[in-house]
Amino acid sequence: MTRLVTHDLAVRPTRDELAAQDFTSSLRGHVLNHMAATMKTRYETSIAPKLAEAPADGRAVHAAIRPDTYFRFYSALRTGAQEMVWSSVGAAVERDAGKLADTARALAADSARAQGTLRLDPALPVPRSVSAIDVHHMPGSYSAESGDGDLTAGAIYENGLSVFSFGLMGKNLDDIGESSAFWLRHTHPEFAPKAILDLGCSVGHQTLPWKRAYPDAEVTGIDVAAPCLRYAHGRAQSQGVTAHFVQADATALPWPDASFDLVYSSMFLHELPLKDIKQVFAEARRVLKPGGLMLHYELPPNNALSAYDGFYLDWDCWYNNEPFYKTYRDQDPATLCAEAGFASDGFFQTVVPSLAWYGADAVAAALAGSAQVGGNTGRLADGVQWFVYGNWA
Amino acid sequence: MSESRGNKPQVFDDPAIDALVKMLLELASETWVTRARLAALEAKVGSVEDLVLPPETEARLSADRDAFVKRLFGVLER
Repeated sequence: MTRLVTHDLAVRPTRDELAAQDFTSSLRGHVLNHMAATMKTRYETSIAPKLAEAPADGRAVHAAIRPDTYFRFYSALRTGAQEMVWSSVGAAVERDAGKLADTARALAADSARAQGTLRLDPALPVPRSVSAIDVHHMPGSYSAESGDGDLTAGAIYENGLSVFSFGLMGKNLDDIGESSAFWLRHTHPEFAPKAILDLGCSVGHQTLPWKRAYPDAEVTGIDVAAPCLRYAHGRAQSQGVTAHFVQADATALPWPDASFDLVYSSMFLHELPLKDIKQVFAEARRVLKPGGLMLHYELPPNNALSAYDGFYLDWDCWYNNEPFYKTYRDQDPATLCAEAGFASDGFFQTVVPSLAWYGADAVAAALAGSAQVGGNTGRLADGVQWFVYGNWA
Repeated sequence: MSESRGNKPQVFDDPAIDALVKMLLELASETWVTRARLAALEAKVGSVEDLVLPPETEARLSADRDAFVKRLFGVLER
């Protein structure tokens, strides 16, 4: 197991590998907490006051901070830690690859656990935004596979995510999905989706919370990467959650118009070229039933943040092999929705408090009351919150 | 495990410093791994101060050490 991957597809790292994973998590915690805070203070007190004019945007902040030695060590350590995320789990996954494939096959056939399905389409062209780039510096990309039944890319991703997130994404790595579904159920109790689609679901970790939240719904996750979907299917079966996984491209959904009540994505859009994002929104609009909802968890847009905070988030575009990240964050979510044909009065954006961070009782109390959970005055002002936006169809 | 494709960001003017940082991280990780293993061993067997290792263990350690050095400085060949 890799601390947070404890289901039947868990791999078996050696004691040394587990210690290296722990070290990497600690390193990331240090860089993203202590060093990030120090860097911001350093910028505000030593760098910004010497600038001729206040930086207009994140790119200008980047230009101003780039020569700074502390920023360079921050970037070098964070980049090094990112590579260690994958190297700390890779050997165990490669050793266990055969066992993983066998276990996934057995889980797929185990209808007593769950009745989920897997539908792969070997003829589907994998977009170059996935196949040609090792996003997040993950070796081999998300779609590369070596032979029938290979699911190592999915295993490397989930085990890496365990090391990467060091608990901030929940004990089952599904806090974004769990928190989003909890928020929707509590803020829109009348909404009872029967068909839910999760776009770019990778290993399905944010897909399963929707089935848990809406047990009567048919929940489907799609991705272009077959090894991730094989893993997602086995993972869902192992956790006893019936979900369906389909190899498909979100820019050309293989469903007729008005097929879904809820179309969701998490951490997906910022990996796509802008033309694909626009096509995804148009497709989401097309497959939604009247009264349905398109909902995205994403990083907040640059127009909602200070120049420094915009720079801080766009770091990943410049240093983490996510070439479309900044272009996405430069868009205005409401405009993207409107351009896809959504009515502007159905648009909203908000922050969803993390269930893993605050606990269900505190979040339910905050959502039931008038407390602002996103601002500085709310009861849940400090801690992890997820930015979501959506548009009712 | 293979290297990821694409340009590795260079953050210092001199790429030697980027390489040194990666060496340092590899070394720091190995240090922690060793400390974790030592803690496990000493919890089991007690002090190992006066222990003489069997020859095969010494040989394995030697090979492991060579591999460690190769990995530590492997960044120079990337």
